[in-house]
Amino acid sequence: MNKLRRAINNSDLGRFRFYVQLLFFAVLIYGGYLALNLGNQLPTFACLYSDLHGGSCYLLGFQHQMVTPWPEMFGGRGIGILIGLATFVAFFVVFNKAWCGFICPLGTIQDWLSSLRSKLKIRPASYSEPVFQRLSRIKYILLALLILLPMAIGNSFFGLPKLSHDWGVPFCMICPGRTVLPLFTGDFSQLAIDLSSTTKLTLTALGMAITGLFFLGSLVKPRFFCLFCPMSALHYIFFRAGLLRLTKDGAKCTRCGNCYRACDVGIRAIADDLESTNIVKDDCMMCGKCIEVCPEDGCLRVKFLNLPVYESSAEGFFTRMERKNNGK
Amino acid sequence: MKYFGGIDIGSTSIKLVLIDEEKRIVADATCPTGSHFHHNTMTAFEGMLIRGNIARHEVAYIFSTGYGRKLFKESDETISEITANAVGAAGFSREGEPVQTIINIGGQDLKVIQLDRQGQIQNFAMNDKCAAGTGRFLEMTARNLEVEVDQLGELHHRARGVPLTINSTCTVFAESEIISLLAGGHGKEELIAGVHYSIAKRVARLAKRFVGEGAVFFDGGPARNRGLVDALEDELMRPVIVPPTPQITTAFGAALLAMEACEDPEEPERG
Amino acid sequence: MENERLQRMRKTTRLHLAMEAEETLQRLEEFPERPAAMEYFYALFRRISNGDGLTSLAGEGKVIATMCMQVPQELILAVGAHPLRLCSGANAYDQVGAEFMPAKSCPVIRATLGMLKVNYSLWGDNLASIVIPTTCDQKKKACEQLTNMGYPVYSLEMPAGKDSDLARYYWQESVKQFAHDLEGLAGRRLTAAGLRGAIGKVGRAAALFRQLHRLRGNRPPLILGSDLFLVYNAYFFDDIERWSAAVEALTAELEERRQNGVRVTNRRAPRLLFTGSPPIFPNFKVPVLVELSGGIIVADESCSSTRLLSDAVAYDEAALNDMVPAVADRYLKPCTCPCLTPNGDRLRKLVTMAGELEVDGVVYQAFSGCLPYEMERQQVNEVLSERGIPMLYVETDYSPEDSGQLSTRVEAFIESIKARKRRKVRTK
Repeated sequence: MNKLRRAINNSDLGRFRFYVQLLFFAVLIYGGYLALNLGNQLPTFACLYSDLHGGSCYLLGFQHQMVTPWPEMFGGRGIGILIGLATFVAFFVVFNKAWCGFICPLGTIQDWLSSLRSKLKIRPASYSEPVFQRLSRIKYILLALLILLPMAIGNSFFGLPKLSHDWGVPFCMICPGRTVLPLFTGDFSQLAIDLSSTTKLTLTALGMAITGLFFLGSLVKPRFFCLFCPMSALHYIFFRAGLLRLTKDGAKCTRCGNCYRACDVGIRAIADDLESTNIVKDDCMMCGKCIEVCPEDGCLRVKFLNLPVYESSAEGFFTRMERKNNGK
Repeated sequence: MKYFGGIDIGSTSIKLVLIDEEKRIVADATCPTGSHFHHNTMTAFEGMLIRGNIARHEVAYIFSTGYGRKLFKESDETISEITANAVGAAGFSREGEPVQTIINIGGQDLKVIQLDRQGQIQNFAMNDKCAAGTGRFLEMTARNLEVEVDQLGELHHRARGVPLTINSTCTVFAESEIISLLAGGHGKEELIAGVHYSIAKRVARLAKRFVGEGAVFFDGGPARNRGLVDALEDELMRPVIVPPTPQITTAFGAALLAMEACEDPEEPERG
Repeated sequence: MENERLQRMRKTTRLHLAMEAEETLQRLEEFPERPAAMEYFYALFRRISNGDGLTSLAGEGKVIATMCMQVPQELILAVGAHPLRLCSGANAYDQVGAEFMPAKSCPVIRATLGMLKVNYSLWGDNLASIVIPTTCDQKKKACEQLTNMGYPVYSLEMPAGKDSDLARYYWQESVKQFAHDLEGLAGRRLTAAGLRGAIGKVGRAAALFRQLHRLRGNRPPLILGSDLFLVYNAYFFDDIERWSAAVEALTAELEERRQNGVRVTNRRAPRLLFTGSPPIFPNFKVPVLVELSGGIIVADESCSSTRLLSDAVAYDEAALNDMVPAVADRYLKPCTCPCLTPNGDRLRKLVTMAGELEVDGVVYQAFSGCLPYEMERQQVNEVLSERGIPMLYVETDYSPEDSGQLSTRVEAFIESIKARKRRKVRTK
């Protein structure tokens, strides 16, 4: 058992992650071929707009449900909404934020673009901590909008007129998942601007712009889009219930900052927070890069329930660095 | 009957103490360290045995301490004078008021030891590299005033005027200061009192960090000097306990440790 | 006239250095159960101290000398130069330095400057630069003094703290500039492959260091702390690969000792943690006294020992734009030098080490003249006494004059720990 654990801790998590990402990418994008479907409440960007999807994103249905007028929402249909939410949460808690780091196809595409950038020897952009903090607020605004806008279709706020149904799934209209994921099945139809109404025109045009930014951004900054992702914001409401956890033992931390530098989403707390044990922050995607570069035994750990899955160790650190230093 | 010996080989004098199994002092001796200190120590040791009417083989265990502790081959073990001093002084604790601060003035050094209520060493401080405020300072004063060191205490109490101020803490500079004060026509008594206050001030400065709860114990040869004791009480602003023969406390502590070592043999070095 | 005087001074200083080095080495050799692998280090220090000292190492290739562990060694190795840390522990050089340095200055700086003054003509053209990070005030001012002596000096700017993003950015920029300037000094370009190789070399040394650190903490102790100070000190100037090979041999021998139950002290010897001003050969006065008095140094925290290699560089992408900042971070973020403010990390490190290695007490050495260490004593004392760990604070310098006083203090400290341990056993 100890031998196994040691072998795991000495292993290259990054490589493992690459294959897991590939697997889930195949399942979520091409699962339809095998009639595979994980449901429509997935806490990740698998997209219903992509025909062969093997499961789809919760946000689409969630936005739809938000259109429900108040009386019905607190009546019979409310139960349906709750069941949907419960399914979402049930999916989510199993892998916690690892949905982002290991499963999300949009995340995977960004990681591929990052390695392309690295191969092209383009310097990645780095943001200072205040910039990160300012940017990370945007996703909460998006989350609020994707709830409030559909609500304003079924209900009237402050006596204002109700919004048109064109605002039904506002986030999907601007989400790069809708435009990008179908491309992998040869479907380019989403790459268009819908001229049927001003609202749709505005939203789809914005969507096209964001798609452009998505490609450009992730070629400059690793996981650029994740900083604005409202799914990540929704995750963060439930992360404490996660069965998979990233924990830190502050007493073992030397604040060397290796983890902070490795972190694609610039979470400074990973290096500087010595008090928290549960160290998952809203941008965290549990990619585990921080654990790989931590040279202190048992300082950073991934646990499932309370069982350690993968943890930092001096031996693992030096084994991995040696491999890297030899150019492998 | 078994006896235990403590030998404190200091810079100016050697102190020897023998205790019995009841921790009572059965004999003690003091001799100057001199240049043939091994010979002197042996002579004093043998003299003490004769006076106490004790045979050498009856002395079960000997601890030596002080600067020369490692040079004296007759002893079974050595111990630093700080530990020995602490053990010796802790024996003078009174009911409800344990000794928690020890001030020791030796021939060439000055120590303050802080103990907890159980008599274990908590902290200690020593003067560094300098004989200021030590027995040597008193000897120098006596020599310049052409009196015996033993007379200093009595002369201190005869002072009528205000004690004179000695500014230098360095023994060498203080000597010339004393000479010029004498030349200025000042009284010997006031000068001696001034010297005592100058030493006491220095000691108090070192001790202030440690003096807290519990009694303050003052030992070492210079503690026999009543003038210095009074000056120290003034500077510390509290009473101090001075044992009847203050110069042998450390040797007494070493003897107690010798007895303890016999009762409670430490584990062998290897094995 | 001046020249003859300098020559005489150099001759006498050489003699003094050889004498004090031999004295320290002999005292180390007198301890029982010395590991055979230590021979390499004894021989190395004999060679260095018996002759022209560090200048004799300047023979092969460009030398980039440093006066602090804060200079990124990986960069120097990456441009093919030999990093050489000058910090001296020799009283002989201290006495030379005392002729022109203030009496209250730090003996490390005084001795190093003394050495550089007296040995000026011995350095060939190979000495490309002396790199001094702007850590403590005395190092900053040493830059000017050395420039006046005629040395090529590079002042590597370092922030006064490390917690803010600003400090990190400042230091990264400073190191980037240094990396750029190094190319000129060493006459070779800095390449990603070169830097990756250098990070690999230092990383291997760090991995070995960790093994050694684990072994020295063994119960019962397998090696003297004083011996290990010698090993770490050798890292100042030895070729990194030779050093790593020697340490590998040492760890192998210690591992064997561990399995065979060989040990260097008795079972109850007080386990001590050494911290504060750096013990630099030949000034091992305090550590040797501690171990002669029956204590054993099982851990230490100083810039001439554990701090040298406790941390290792980790980079994400093998490109210079990621590796250079990664190297920079390793020299600032985990640093526990008291010249940084705040320096809570040092307190945490001490407390962690004391707990992990089950130490019975802490020996705190402060060189008179090193104000940052002298001032931090208060905080260290506080956190340790909260945890019931006794501490001995020793203010000293390179002169042997206080040995008598020191030995009494050290022995009393160790005796008091022994008494404490005995009491614990009794009450159990």
